[in-house]
Amino acid sequence: MSSSSILNIRGLRKSFGATEIIRGVDLELRAGEHRALIGPNGAGKSTLFHLISGNLRPTAGEIVFKGQRIDGWSPERINRHGLARSFQITNIFPRLTVFENVRIAVMQRRHVQYNFWRRIEGMRAIREEAEALLERVRLQHRAGTLGGEMSYSEQRSLELAMTLASDPQLILLDEPMAGMSAEETQYTAGLIRELTAGRTLLLVEHDMDVVFSLGDSISVLVYGQVIATGTPDEIRQDASVREAYLGEEHAA
Amino acid sequence: MLLAALPALLPAGLLIASNQMLVAALFASAYSLLSGRAGMLSFGHAAYFGIGAFATVHAMNAVGGAGLLPTPLMPLIGAAAGLAVGIVAGWFATQRSGTTFAMITLAIAELLHALAPQLKSLFGGESGISAMRMPAWGLDFGSTTQVYYLTLCWVLLSLALLYFHGLTPAGRLTLALRENGHRLRFLGYNVHGLGVSAFAISAMFSGLAGGLQALSNEAANYAVFDAGVSASVVLNSYIGGVGSFFGPALGAALMSFFGYAVSDITQSWMLYQGVLFVGVMMFAPAGVSGLLGSGSRLFAQRGWKLALPVTLLAVCAALLLSAGGVFIVEMLQRLCSQDYRAMAQAAAKLPTIALFGRAWSPGSVLTWALPVALLVLGAVLALAARRRLGANA
Repeated sequence: MSSSSILNIRGLRKSFGATEIIRGVDLELRAGEHRALIGPNGAGKSTLFHLISGNLRPTAGEIVFKGQRIDGWSPERINRHGLARSFQITNIFPRLTVFENVRIAVMQRRHVQYNFWRRIEGMRAIREEAEALLERVRLQHRAGTLGGEMSYSEQRSLELAMTLASDPQLILLDEPMAGMSAEETQYTAGLIRELTAGRTLLLVEHDMDVVFSLGDSISVLVYGQVIATGTPDEIRQDASVREAYLGEEHAA
Repeated sequence: MLLAALPALLPAGLLIASNQMLVAALFASAYSLLSGRAGMLSFGHAAYFGIGAFATVHAMNAVGGAGLLPTPLMPLIGAAAGLAVGIVAGWFATQRSGTTFAMITLAIAELLHALAPQLKSLFGGESGISAMRMPAWGLDFGSTTQVYYLTLCWVLLSLALLYFHGLTPAGRLTLALRENGHRLRFLGYNVHGLGVSAFAISAMFSGLAGGLQALSNEAANYAVFDAGVSASVVLNSYIGGVGSFFGPALGAALMSFFGYAVSDITQSWMLYQGVLFVGVMMFAPAGVSGLLGSGSRLFAQRGWKLALPVTLLAVCAALLLSAGGVFIVEMLQRLCSQDYRAMAQAAAKLPTIALFGRAWSPGSVLTWALPVALLVLGAVLALAARRRLGANA
């Protein structure tokens, strides 16, 4: 493990009953690196995210994040250790306002979750931080709208703001552009690039243009194993990757 | 203002009923912190109400009958007991959500209900425990009026605190917990801790309501643990509407008033309560407060020229439908009673039934045509109201 490594996964396995979905994954991320994770449907990309973020417990193997083994930790403990994630299916508080969605994300780091003697409106630092985050994702004009009433791409921007609220060192984004138009995809890609500057990013995405533009490096997950890791150019050239993944994608 | 003036206006019997309305309103508001704001449906809130009542009675009897605290502060004992039991029960119950959560709360309440008659020293067995309100702070708390004002103060203070809770970080997180507990975990929150705190606060104010009841009755009986108490706080809250803050309190006040007014006149009060609940859930799921809200929106948006006739039609329809329903229920109830059967056997024919100051023959067509006509007319008016609303949409 190199000294600049922030996430180190070794021999990770996950079975559901007799079916093994993750079959010995090794993956290392350097601090500040933007890594895209690609692979065909059913390769185990989302499962891998669930294992890293604590939504699922690994069957075997270890996950080391910032020098500590986090496999088996609860999601909230992993989050407080500096990891934030978004979900493949939009995961917000649909019947709360956009501002409130972000404010709830901001509140955690301020340790006010059991404060029932002060009005939230009176907490200026929290309000200002939530407003600043909304501005960064260009949603300040939507502050009073209910989260669930915004367009899909706006909800994705909101998720980005909530993900950023904990000031994480490592961000996992699970298909942030799924279901977006070309224009929305381009906009969101720009937003992600801007917001994740200086942080480590692990991104699952199907759109190859996004993958090649956002990822400094790419790992290919096929049938529960990482078959290749390299720069976008190296991945394009890799014969086994072309066979397993890019080939079918280009043929389609 | 009106609430403060009531003692001067009402006879003592009604004042006792008002006292019960206040307690029921607080209990429903405390319950709705959990079921409405936190989205956790508890079927066993009688447990915390009852614990509060018994703790208060024991505190009143403590120190040789002098009481642990001055009488006006007694409900605090109920609140503390509700909080303590709520933390323990909530710790277990909030491990699960949805149906499982509801079943655990039900089981905890039933456990207490089954256990209470056995533990005579704690719960006084069948006869319960009684206590005396001691004079304090220059007041003797002997009159209904003084007890009423004491209850009013505590209920208003508690409602203000419950409302305030919704404005604090803890309260906002309670809402978020209802909306999406899964997301909260990935924002770094301990969801179990948040659930326990919402549960415990709800149990604390339920215990306070129980304490107020014990203080006003100067007694507590294990019947406070009855499943019916748990059920009626659910019904009251949803009839009032858990979507708004004052809905549950309104529902509880209305229902306990009806209970007081009607239970002497009819034996079918429970049936009416059930029918009312089903009716509200089917036709106005947001409850009475939701109905009032949409009514006032109707006036504001469409103007009184449309809204007034629609409202009048709807009110008349509701009255006619209830009148027809009540008539049938009361007739059937009398017809099926044992007294009536004995009379019919003795007379060898169907005697007339006295109802609403008239004698009705159960064999006559007119007797049954009247309620049917009321129901049909009510339905027609309801349809007319709906059509007017629809035509001008």
